Amino acid sequence: MRILIVEDEPDLLRSLAQALQEEGYAVDTAAEGPSGLFNAQTYDYDAVVLDVMLPKMDGWEILRRLRQTKKTPVLMLTARDQSRDRVRGLDTGADDYVVKPFDLPELFARLRALIRRGAGQAANVLTVGDIVIDTGARQITRGGQPVALTAREYALVEFLALHHGQVVTRTALYDHLFDENESSLSNLLDVHVSNIRKKLGPGFITTRRGHGYCMGGPA
Amino acid sequence: MILKSIRWRLQIWYGLVFLAVLTGFGLTAYELERNRQFRNLDAEFQKRMGALSSSMRPPLGPRGPGPDRGGGPDDQFPGGGPTDDRGGGPGDGFPGARPPEDRPFPGPGGQDFQFRLPSSLTNLFGAESNSFYYVIWGRNGAELARSEAAPRDVPPPPPDTGPGGQPPPRMRGPLREFFHATPGGGSLLVGSSIAEDLAGLRVVAWSLAAAGAVVLLLGLTGGWWIATRAMRPVEDISATAVKIAAGDLSQRISAADTDSELGRLAAVLNSTFSRLEAAFAQQRQFTADAAHELRTPIAVMLTQTQTALSRERAADEYRAAVQACQRAAQRMRKLMESLLQLARLDAGQETMKQLPFDLSKLAADCVEMVAPLAEARRVKIQCAVPPTPCLGDPEQISQVLTNLLANAIEFNKPSGQVRLTAETQSSVVKLTVADTGEGIAPEDLPRIFERFYRADKSRSGAAGHTGLGLAISRAIVRAHGGDIQAASPPGAGAAFTVTLPLPHRPSS
Repeated sequence: MRILIVEDEPDLLRSLAQALQEEGYAVDTAAEGPSGLFNAQTYDYDAVVLDVMLPKMDGWEILRRLRQTKKTPVLMLTARDQSRDRVRGLDTGADDYVVKPFDLPELFARLRALIRRGAGQAANVLTVGDIVIDTGARQITRGGQPVALTAREYALVEFLALHHGQVVTRTALYDHLFDENESSLSNLLDVHVSNIRKKLGPGFITTRRGHGYCMGGPA
Repeated sequence: MILKSIRWRLQIWYGLVFLAVLTGFGLTAYELERNRQFRNLDAEFQKRMGALSSSMRPPLGPRGPGPDRGGGPDDQFPGGGPTDDRGGGPGDGFPGARPPEDRPFPGPGGQDFQFRLPSSLTNLFGAESNSFYYVIWGRNGAELARSEAAPRDVPPPPPDTGPGGQPPPRMRGPLREFFHATPGGGSLLVGSSIAEDLAGLRVVAWSLAAAGAVVLLLGLTGGWWIATRAMRPVEDISATAVKIAAGDLSQRISAADTDSELGRLAAVLNSTFSRLEAAFAQQRQFTADAAHELRTPIAVMLTQTQTALSRERAADEYRAAVQACQRAAQRMRKLMESLLQLARLDAGQETMKQLPFDLSKLAADCVEMVAPLAEARRVKIQCAVPPTPCLGDPEQISQVLTNLLANAIEFNKPSGQVRLTAETQSSVVKLTVADTGEGIAPEDLPRIFERFYRADKSRSGAAGHTGLGLAISRAIVRAHGGDIQAASPPGAGAAFTVTLPLPHRPSS
């Protein structure tokens, strides 16, 4: 899952990015309005965390412009908790709204819900064969036994599970699983897929040569 | 308590006064009517009395003793008995009377006396029970004559006669009786039942009372209506005040007529409410802004600590997290200090020291203080402040000046300039800090001294900017009896001018 954070407070931006990376997300950051808008318009993020007060262009304006072209789930981050602001945010097209100061676990939960809904899944437990993916606990069990995956491996499995039955291209996987700094490592994806097959069984992820990967679809 | 209500008290007073006026009016009207009636009645009585008494005048001439012979009552009625046969001379007492009626009055001892009313007077004394009647007594109180309609037992006149020689008219039930002393020492009574007249007067009295009651009722209703109308604005005011007291500060008294006394009161109250509402709104906004300013540093601390503690970390990661927390804490401390300083300035607790200081030296110190910042931004500071002796708190004036200089550097263009100049005008010194930056947008200019107002909304995140600097500067300058103004001519950067009063110079 790839997330964009637009936040001008450097300490907050840094710690948010770090926390989300440790949760297994690919994270891009922007510290001011225009670059944030550019990123959001250029890449297909699974979610955008958008601060309202930003230099040069505020969050409302970014949201308004982004909504002209993209439906990326947006979580607004603001220091204002007056209901007028919340209403404005939701009316402008924000998908959720978190008031500073926030609890990280809550922010993560809201992001997961946003991403799930963005992929058209309402439940937080996905089942593929004997493999159960609990997106809330970020845990995978196979035949009732927990399977230990790295954060990146989990993200890959979750992304494929969210697009269950569809062929996901390598480009899409790169776009959603790796941030701007990692994308150049072209064989990283193959390494992760091979590791996942070792842990969850060889047939779990099928390779469609020339197209990409697929989970649970017709072989 | 109903009697505490102004409307009720008004109504009661009004009702009492109205009742007194009506009663007085009614009594007067009744009395006038009664007097008129009695005057008319009494005139009737007097007419008959006069006619009777004049017909009873003792006849003059040889047969009757004249008045000059001494007024003995016996003399009035000469002749010992009825002298029908004498006929002839028409007595003065009964002019035009026919012989049978023209009987001489009997003497005191006369028993078989019969008095016949002269025909000219018959129409004055009828036979009906409600008509006038007369009774004549002799000197010794013996009844001499009575008319047909006279009641059976008419008491003789009281012996005690009034000053005019006649007892006052008396009332016996519905009978009114007048007395007249006859020349011979007897007395004459003319009476009549005035029951009908009394009944008429009673009708008048009841009519007056009924009319009075109706008028009183109408008056009270009208008074209630007027009192209600007069009290309605007061009730409006009190209802609005109740709503405002309940916390709805947006309520206003509807005062259509602002020229009336209550209208003016309503206008005054409305403007007071408006100022109250504005003050509350400002206070609310200030509190919300202050809380808002605290949110970001707290968010930093929460996120940093939660991330750092989520797993085992290397020492330098912990250090980075703690440093971020420290920065957030410092920011909160600065905000808190600024808020406290503003609160003290607001309350007038910030004691203004009155120390003499030299403005040029103070300006130079401030320039030196911001020099590192200016160097980092490659901004040049020109300081042209002539020595000017001032009086005040040099620390606080330094704070104002440093704040203005720091702003001028920060909002300047790279390699820009900041000019600090001073100009003495009669009793004030004007200190101007001008920069060559982008200036301040016209819509922001009137508001930049407001608390937490930022021309650039994003600068909330920038460390060290609480959004209170200019508000504090203005509060300090005003506490010194001066003022601060901002100007931003298009394309010429921004200029802040601090006006400070100069101390009075001794003698020169």
